[in-house]
Amino acid sequence: MDCSGKSAGLSRFDRMLENCCQYAVQARQEGKPIVGILCEYTPRELIMAAGAVPVCLCGGSHAMALEGEQDLPVGLCPLIKSTYGYCRAKKNPLLEMADLVVAETTCDGKKKMYELMARRKAMYVLELPQKPDDADAQTHWLRELRKFKEFLESRYTESITDDALRKAIATMNRERGLRRQLAEMMKQPCPPWTGRQLLNYKSIISGIESDLVAYERLTAKARPRAELKDRPRILLTGVPTVHGAEKVVDILENAGGLVVCMENCTGIKPIMEDVDAGAANPLEAIAKKYFYLPCSVMTANRKRIENLRRLTVDYAADCIVDMVWQGCLTYDVESWFVKELADELKLPYLKIVTDYGPSDAERIALRVEALLETAAKTR
Amino acid sequence: MITAGIDAGSRAIKIVLYAMERNAVLDSACGDQGIDQQQRTGAMFDRLLEKNKLKRQDLAVTVATGYGRHLLDFCDSTITEITCHAAGVRRHLPDAMTIIDIGGQDSKLIRLGSDGKVRDFAMNDRCAAGTGRFLEVVSERLEVPLEQLGAFAQQSEHPAQISSICVVFAETEIVGLLASGQSPENIVAGVQTSIARRLLAMAGREVESPVVFTGGVAMIPGMKEAIEKMLDKPIATCPQPQLTGALGAAILAAEKKKKQESK
Repeated sequence: MDCSGKSAGLSRFDRMLENCCQYAVQARQEGKPIVGILCEYTPRELIMAAGAVPVCLCGGSHAMALEGEQDLPVGLCPLIKSTYGYCRAKKNPLLEMADLVVAETTCDGKKKMYELMARRKAMYVLELPQKPDDADAQTHWLRELRKFKEFLESRYTESITDDALRKAIATMNRERGLRRQLAEMMKQPCPPWTGRQLLNYKSIISGIESDLVAYERLTAKARPRAELKDRPRILLTGVPTVHGAEKVVDILENAGGLVVCMENCTGIKPIMEDVDAGAANPLEAIAKKYFYLPCSVMTANRKRIENLRRLTVDYAADCIVDMVWQGCLTYDVESWFVKELADELKLPYLKIVTDYGPSDAERIALRVEALLETAAKTR
Repeated sequence: MITAGIDAGSRAIKIVLYAMERNAVLDSACGDQGIDQQQRTGAMFDRLLEKNKLKRQDLAVTVATGYGRHLLDFCDSTITEITCHAAGVRRHLPDAMTIIDIGGQDSKLIRLGSDGKVRDFAMNDRCAAGTGRFLEVVSERLEVPLEQLGAFAQQSEHPAQISSICVVFAETEIVGLLASGQSPENIVAGVQTSIARRLLAMAGREVESPVVFTGGVAMIPGMKEAIEKMLDKPIATCPQPQLTGALGAAILAAEKKKKQESK
């Protein structure tokens, strides 16, 4: 990861990593600890209310995935290998600055990787229940967050007040709202950006005021781009395309498609809903919003399919691309249901199983071209 | 007017010249693929044109397909082999609902809509285990010519279990089977079953009839039977299966020309 400031002169989000590094350095000077997070289930509001700065540390580097293979199985998901690889090689300055890393029991690969990471870094692991329809699951998750709150209080601050939580909720809701507004611009017949551009409009540290202002400015300055009008519109779903691992989005758009919606954790999945700002108990409101994230680790994950059904209409998708990182068993199996939905909606569907390496790019491009030929005919 | 379809495949180059007004194939050619794709394909193309007393500029539209399609700068446009195979098969067998295409390094299963257009497709990812390359490896290793593999497999009493999903590893597996005393007949039959099984795994849900078998591997005796057995339904082999992609490209080139003219 490069935080050197070499790319000065580009727009704000092209310098995202540098901005985040500078922000983190400054925060530490002000006595604010840096807390790494590894998944969208971790409530950023709790960390912010404890006076700390939450930073997403998911790895998107192929080189770091190879580094991770020195301790982890080759067949494991590249996101897990890369995240761990950064830790092993001490190559992510934000991870190096982090005082603590918070994770949760999502997939088996991550869960076991955390045990290795704990040898190198202070870790706190939240136990995530995985039956969204079970009332006890929500109660358990709330208990986990209470324990986490107590842990943060003992580590960083005397007490996390409801007021502090409400303030953090307001900031995060504002950020989610602004990012949602950007994403929803892609519903237009002539969107203002490519999917690849939109993917850049985010930050791995949440709640930076100048980022929020930049989101507002982007929305205000957005203009329809006529040349994007006739491109086949792609709804991308599946695994996150974290910073550095955008290869499939690039292939899709270089082949002439337009990724209008990304139903994944680097897209709209975590920003579709807000935390109820008016709730009497803010922690309960936070638990509710975060627990119902439709990740494939949940069983059954019907909400993802319901969301996809709605999103294909809202974004006028011509086809669905389902992306799975190699070794991600839950998304790999869940594809069956996405394909079933695509068949029902009569939308061309393509599943891409890949890793961070460039070697299969040509093979993927062939399938993408064929998909777009089919989608163009269906329009 | 004449159009051309060029299928620059991984193992072979296929070219079809198509007479638009008569909706008929004028001539065709097949040759081995090599490293110097552009030059090799160009020379083959010119020989075929010369034989028919034509020049490149006489052609209305030339469409390239196959994995080398982007390397042929003398073609007007490119279309993927998936769309081209559908168009080629539709020409021979208009009722087809499913196409099985096994080529030199790819295997594909293409589902067609009732309009004959591609509805859905699946293809092998990184490994060539379910493709023609697998048969070549077996043919070399067992010293049985490709065209005799089918007759050879018919003599098998108990096809060997080939579990491998990787060509390189499968070769190791074959060595092991030979060492354990398995007959070459059983091994060939086992490899053919393994290719068919991989195809079926890729197919996933229902395989709708009529099923058409195309691509170079459809010319290898025994493969059709192995797939039929696995699918438990009859399949038809496309006439001149190696040329289906190039034919489709030439037909789509003709459609393109007609569309241009009607504008």
